[in-house]
Amino acid sequence: MIETRELSKYYGEIKAVDRLNLTVYEGEIFGLLGPNGSGKTTTFITLMGLTVPTSGTATIGGYDIVKDSRKVRKIASMLPEGAGYYEDLTAEQNLNYICQLNDIPKPERERTIKDLLEAVGLADNAKMKVEKFSRGMRQRLGIAEVLIKKPRVALFDEPTIGLDPQGTKEIRDMMFRLNKEQGLTVLLSSHLLYEVQQTCQRVGIIRKGRLIAADTIGNLSKKLSKWKVTLELELAGAGPDLIREIKGINDVMSVDQEGSKIFVHMESDRTREVSEAVIKHGATILLMRPKEHSLDEIFMEYMKEGDQ
Amino acid sequence: MAGALTVCRKELADHLGSRRYVVLFALILLLSTLSAYQGTEYIKNNPNAGFMAIFSGARFGFSFTYLMVFFGPIIGLALGFDAVNKERTSGTLSVLLCQPIFRDSVINGKFMGGTAALSLLAASTIGIMCGVAMPILGFGPGFEDALRIVLFALLTIVYLTFWLALGLLFSTVTKKTSTSILLSISTWLFCSIVISIIAALVANYAVPIQMPSGPFNPGAQGTQEYRELMQRRTTIQMNIQRISPAYLYNEAGSSILGTMGGSFGFGELGRGTPFQRLELTQALATRWPQILAIVVGMVVCFAATYMLFLRMEIRPEG
Ligand SMILES: Nc1ncnc2c1ncn2[C@@H]1O[C@H](COP(=O)(O)OP(=O)(O)O)[C@@H](O)[C@H]1O
Ligand SMILES: [Mg+2]
Repeated sequence: MIETRELSKYYGEIKAVDRLNLTVYEGEIFGLLGPNGSGKTTTFITLMGLTVPTSGTATIGGYDIVKDSRKVRKIASMLPEGAGYYEDLTAEQNLNYICQLNDIPKPERERTIKDLLEAVGLADNAKMKVEKFSRGMRQRLGIAEVLIKKPRVALFDEPTIGLDPQGTKEIRDMMFRLNKEQGLTVLLSSHLLYEVQQTCQRVGIIRKGRLIAADTIGNLSKKLSKWKVTLELELAGAGPDLIREIKGINDVMSVDQEGSKIFVHMESDRTREVSEAVIKHGATILLMRPKEHSLDEIFMEYMKEGDQ
Repeated sequence: MAGALTVCRKELADHLGSRRYVVLFALILLLSTLSAYQGTEYIKNNPNAGFMAIFSGARFGFSFTYLMVFFGPIIGLALGFDAVNKERTSGTLSVLLCQPIFRDSVINGKFMGGTAALSLLAASTIGIMCGVAMPILGFGPGFEDALRIVLFALLTIVYLTFWLALGLLFSTVTKKTSTSILLSISTWLFCSIVISIIAALVANYAVPIQMPSGPFNPGAQGTQEYRELMQRRTTIQMNIQRISPAYLYNEAGSSILGTMGGSFGFGELGRGTPFQRLELTQALATRWPQILAIVVGMVVCFAATYMLFLRMEIRPEG
């Protein structure tokens, strides 16, 4: 649905987006994860034609983002970071303006606006001026504006920034619902791991304008475990000798004990050697499994990778 | 085009409802009506002055032309100076440009909306002036005078849209409204006041007139030489003032009205030049460079704004 090829945007020396190759498939929720200043906003505004790329190309729904920018904006919506509204107009009037710009015929407008306000939970605030809106309400109004054109793709740039947990949950549920019920393809950016972990089926990690990795969370975890394996153990009858022996095994980097659990961090998979040692020392294995890495760790890991 | 019309309608509605516009409109309307009233007094005392004197006959310096010379820049600039940068910083411009419209619809719409608001202001003020004057005078403009009024109204609108376009340009090149408002106010002061002071100073410096020493001799001012020197001063002063579109408007407007009673700048407040009625064709024939300069200025300002706006990167942070 979205495909970028070597997409780049440079500001003089600064490479805000650097040869980005990104694919977002139809019907998925894709998360672009990166720290502040990594180029998420630049990527988004380039895709929507708010600025022109320095080099490279990209398409949305098959339309070139530069040559067919207007067609792109017919099928794709964006909720920009820090989206603004006309403060002295009501929610309804704000939506009405966007409806007009989308050529929604007058008879349909009223219906569309009413339905959307209901969908985002602002039906009671239709006649309220936006200046009185809370952050969460503004963001929901933004989502209503995004949906006016009945888009096939929606780009949300840090949609939950500055929201409380309740507001965050509402926005996330809304994205899920749109994705499920209307098959909306969602590209979401965030600097919060937790958020993309909760929301996205696939994740791309961006750093200094480069896409470092893009995959499902499960696969990213697996990739990480290729470099580092952690074994979680729970033993009965384990003495200090055993721990020393495990520490002595080739490739084992460290052994941590947390309560009854033992974590063995290894450079490569030495599960067999570890279990042999346990049996040799006459201890019983209550539990033994490779530990899943949280996206948190993966994120940190990739960030470090990028530094090298 | 549909996009531009939508933007235009919104902008027009915004202007008409804005305190800024309403206050300026009320001020102009009040002063113009007063000046029209004064004009009728003048016409009563000078029976052959003709209907057009309602636009120029006011003795206290605020003829309609003068009001436009002085307030015109601020009216036009006021409608334009924050049109782009305010939406840029507030983040509404990003939302707007994510809609399936051509980007130029936004800037065209803003220009059209502002022009409509200015046209409404100019046309209704001129209309009301005529409406006030006719019952008092007991007669209205003849065909030629009516034509003059229409042309004058058009000139006024183009002149005001020049300032609007300049305001839009300021609004596009600057990121903060505080910068563009400063630019606007400086330009206004320069074009409506400072330039006439500079022109007078330069002229006096360039053409020194030696006052005869000794006892005051009024006869010296009547000499041929003195009059020539004064003439040279006036020419220099005039040519410098022509940098200001307000001055060009004053020249063109007064000629179209067939009066030369307009005044320009503080130095000339209330000191109307001698009445001199030009035929309409003659007025247009001699003043077309002034008219053309205003039109070209407006087109250049808008074209620059348009180009900049189309290339601009839109980020909510500015
Ligand atoms: N107009 C600009 N001129 C110069 N540098 C810019 C400009 N806009 C953004 N940048 C730089 O580009 C980088 C990426 O910014 P951005 O895309 O906003 O990051 P993110 O949205 O991931 O926080 C940052 O280092 C930022 O400083
Ligand atoms: Mg950002």
